Amino acid sequence: MARPSDIRNDELRGKVEQAFAAMRAGKGAEAVHACADAYLRHVALHPEVMKQTIPMRGREISRLMRWPALGANMKPETVAAGAPEIEFLRERFAVSEAMTYYQFVLDEILEQQAG
Amino acid sequence: MKFGLFYELQLPKPANAEQWDPDAERRIFHEMLEQVALADSLGFDFVFEVEHHFLEEYSHSSAPELMMAALSQRTKNIRLGHGIVLTPPGYNHPARVAERISALDILSNGRVEFGSGESASEMELGGFGVERRMKKAMWEEATREITNMMTSTPYPGFEGEFFSMPARNVIPKPLQKPHPPLWVAASRRETTMVAARLGMGSLGFGFETPEELGERALEYYRLVREELMPIGHAINPGLAVLNTFMMADTDEEAMRRSANGPAFFSYSLGYYYNPATGGNHKPGEANVYADFLARAEETAGAQAQRGGFLSAAEIAAGEPTDEVQKALYRAARSGNAIGTTETLRRTLAKYEEQHLDVMIFVAQCGDRKHEHIMESIETFGKELLPEFKERHLTQQRPWRAEQLKGVDFPINSSI
Repeated sequence: MARPSDIRNDELRGKVEQAFAAMRAGKGAEAVHACADAYLRHVALHPEVMKQTIPMRGREISRLMRWPALGANMKPETVAAGAPEIEFLRERFAVSEAMTYYQFVLDEILEQQAG
Repeated sequence: MKFGLFYELQLPKPANAEQWDPDAERRIFHEMLEQVALADSLGFDFVFEVEHHFLEEYSHSSAPELMMAALSQRTKNIRLGHGIVLTPPGYNHPARVAERISALDILSNGRVEFGSGESASEMELGGFGVERRMKKAMWEEATREITNMMTSTPYPGFEGEFFSMPARNVIPKPLQKPHPPLWVAASRRETTMVAARLGMGSLGFGFETPEELGERALEYYRLVREELMPIGHAINPGLAVLNTFMMADTDEEAMRRSANGPAFFSYSLGYYYNPATGGNHKPGEANVYADFLARAEETAGAQAQRGGFLSAAEIAAGEPTDEVQKALYRAARSGNAIGTTETLRRTLAKYEEQHLDVMIFVAQCGDRKHEHIMESIETFGKELLPEFKERHLTQQRPWRAEQLKGVDFPINSSI
């Protein structure tokens, strides 16, 4: 079971709860911005995440590139430079997109927390 | 656990010819009709068929609504699933989707399962001018409105971001009320959870181990109970998984009959969904099967040790990034439902124990033979299906009812 209340870090929990509230209110863009904010803060608090890789099409890429590319996209060059940024290609997001980002951030934070 | 069949209508080109035999497309369409009719007579629960466009050899199923209409007249009980309809308006106007789903529901006496999705191949997105970064938002807007069209008399009209139309009565209305069960394609964990929140069945949600499946099933149903924000007017809670399928008297013979099918399935899928290859596909000229055979020789050594299948690491290394394609790729490469009756009984029981609702078999793929597929359907239908059906009623249904306790939104589900 994955809930925002499971997040031990107060700051991260607050950001994810903000994303959850926006998502539940149907405010897609607000929720996606909150998710991006939470994820970048999570990475800043746990820089070891940046060193983790996943296999993709025969090569290893940064774990950060798993961040969903649904219009708020991780900029690969900033990941390579060690200072990840998320670029907003648009300012309107559907609820399903917000749900995708929210679930991703929640799972990533809890997985890291669990070790 | 219930069972279904899944169709892409694959048609590899002969490796030594520029084009197919003139009869080839007629042949695979009619073979599918025979296979599904047999499955229906044996008690299979579902057939799901994709919608794809321009993906030569990989999928010749561009008009699944017609195949479903034909099946509706040749079958009695099997549920007719769109797995999935492409709902971004660039592919299909939402009103046309609502009309076709409803008409099929009437023709089939209420047997339609409405799966929806977006696709991600450059051949399709580029062919219809669908913008990649907006496709999920398009899917959501269109799918939500399609359910409104099927339930509103008249449909009051809509001014949306991706389509608009004036007030019209979109007819006919579906037989199933308020509308057929809704499914969405999903493979990543987060997408399965999106499906839960939207009240949709999660279709082909990946090929996790049974243990991973168990965790996901519990979380999926928790979200249905606690965080539901339905996209439609009734929810369809359920988890379905795809798996390659072939049976024979020995595991070795099942592998022999199967091996090239799944391997070509995943190769052609990777070909079309990798922008580097699919984006440069030469329509009408390329021979994907010949390329596959050439590559297969290069990798034959490693795969041969595992009967033509890949290890988990090898699967992960080569898989596409798109949701649905990743799910299909894993299915094709895992080979979990290939073998004898005893092998399948043992393997499938593990998924059943973890409360999987529906297992969907990919039987028709690559250059597999029709008679082998028919034999497998018959063997499964006679030797395994009855016991799983019985346990679905006595074990899975009560478990699922328990999971859905407290959900006060209407449910329309055939699970």
